[in-house]
Amino acid sequence: MSIAYWRERNKYYRILGSKCKECSTEYFPPVYKCRKCSSERLAEHEMPKDGKILAYTVSRDIITGFEDQEPMALALIELQNGVKMIAQIADASPDQLTVGDKVKAVFRRVNVNGEAGQIFYGYKFVQSGKKT
Amino acid sequence: MKKVLIGGASLGKVGDHWNKSIVDLAVEAGSAALKDAGIAIPDQIVIGNMFSGFSSSQENLGAIVADNLMLQGTPALKVESSGASGAMACNVADSFIRSDQANSVLVIGVEKMRDMEPTDAVLATSLGECASFTQFFGISQTAMCALLTSLYMQEFEISRDELSVFPVIAHKNAVPAEHAQFRKAITITDVSRSMPVSDPLRLLDCAPIGDGAAAVVFCSENGQAKDTSVEIAASAASTDSLNFFQRDDMFDFAATRRALARALSIAGVSLRDIDFAEINDSYSSVAALSVEALGFSNRGEGARDAKEGKFDLNGKVPISTFGGLKGRGNPVGATGVYQMVEAYRQLIRTAGANQVKEAKIGLLHNMGGIDSSAAVHILRRID
Repeated sequence: MSIAYWRERNKYYRILGSKCKECSTEYFPPVYKCRKCSSERLAEHEMPKDGKILAYTVSRDIITGFEDQEPMALALIELQNGVKMIAQIADASPDQLTVGDKVKAVFRRVNVNGEAGQIFYGYKFVQSGKKT
Repeated sequence: MKKVLIGGASLGKVGDHWNKSIVDLAVEAGSAALKDAGIAIPDQIVIGNMFSGFSSSQENLGAIVADNLMLQGTPALKVESSGASGAMACNVADSFIRSDQANSVLVIGVEKMRDMEPTDAVLATSLGECASFTQFFGISQTAMCALLTSLYMQEFEISRDELSVFPVIAHKNAVPAEHAQFRKAITITDVSRSMPVSDPLRLLDCAPIGDGAAAVVFCSENGQAKDTSVEIAASAASTDSLNFFQRDDMFDFAATRRALARALSIAGVSLRDIDFAEINDSYSSVAALSVEALGFSNRGEGARDAKEGKFDLNGKVPISTFGGLKGRGNPVGATGVYQMVEAYRQLIRTAGANQVKEAKIGLLHNMGGIDSSAAVHILRRID
């Protein structure tokens, strides 16, 4: 897991996706081929850090290694460029969440890996404004 | 085109098999299906399984099962397509026969889930999603599905109780089914008030965790099967974007829709000809989106059609006739083969209390991920 973490770190730290050089469509995670125009000419592109909640859930369906994070607030987020992603919502009690709330990306501890205790970091989102 | 016939079949009870390993379960089902078909040595073995390496530290399932069936020498392999592994094993077996590579193929679907800790079972069933962006963050498949469910309910103004109808149908049909995991009827209120798992999904919205194995023998017309009364009229599959939220239309199960179109065309039948359908009711919302993608309901109307009785055992299109994934159980990689055996029983009219009257054509729908893989089979009784 830790080599894979190292390899993906820019995606986890900066939400580094891709942008088509032909039609300007943006992607996260990055794609090999543009899904709109099929171009293979894509460049690395950092996602905007602001978005809004399209749907949210409070999950008690916990996978190994995340037992101490139950319950976990998760949301489907639409970023300002229209890209959609699923991420954890930090620092919020679930009854404060509403569809349409504004959120912004933050850099947080995701998990502690294995016996060595390596800390994995990555993006989470926090509320930045109520639905308008 | 060549005919593919079902020569025989077998299934085991879904549930807790503390005394049986994944190999025990597979060998038991495989051996019984071969006996049922009257075939001693099949030309090929295909095993449908999703995560034996993770759950039982066992791969090379083809060889270990062949060895224990005393079929050393018979080529054998495992097929994996997440939750659609069972149906995709059938799809591969169908190709072996249609392409003249084999006259008889033993297909075994097997999954061992109960040896795992509950959090490992959640991880195992989430392995079909994009690992780098779901597993890494602790996002389970059920949580992803919950987000889709929430959007679906918002978009089509579907109430909690409307969604609850699918598990009620499944459990009702599971009551008389001896091999079903949950032979207990439940009410809409039971579902709507069950424990939240990942809201809006509650415990009784979600297919359970259980061990199980089922097997079926596919034969060509030269395959010397005892039974020649049911044919695989079509076997078709398709795929779609792994992440449902990257699709242009999140409420269109396009992999299912494309597999269905191909299957209907291969079989030369129309939807009106379908007497019953085994659908992939892994979650209440997935059941609703599935009947919509399969064309039995208009967009956003699956749950309301269910409420009006359309999918009951005596309704216009009976679904999940032995309980489906929710009631019979969902031993993931075995599920598609369970559907195959159940549909076969319907068509040879040995379904007992679950019998769909005068069933001639059955449709089977099995899904991996959130419709990232889908397979549709059509079975036809030859009179």
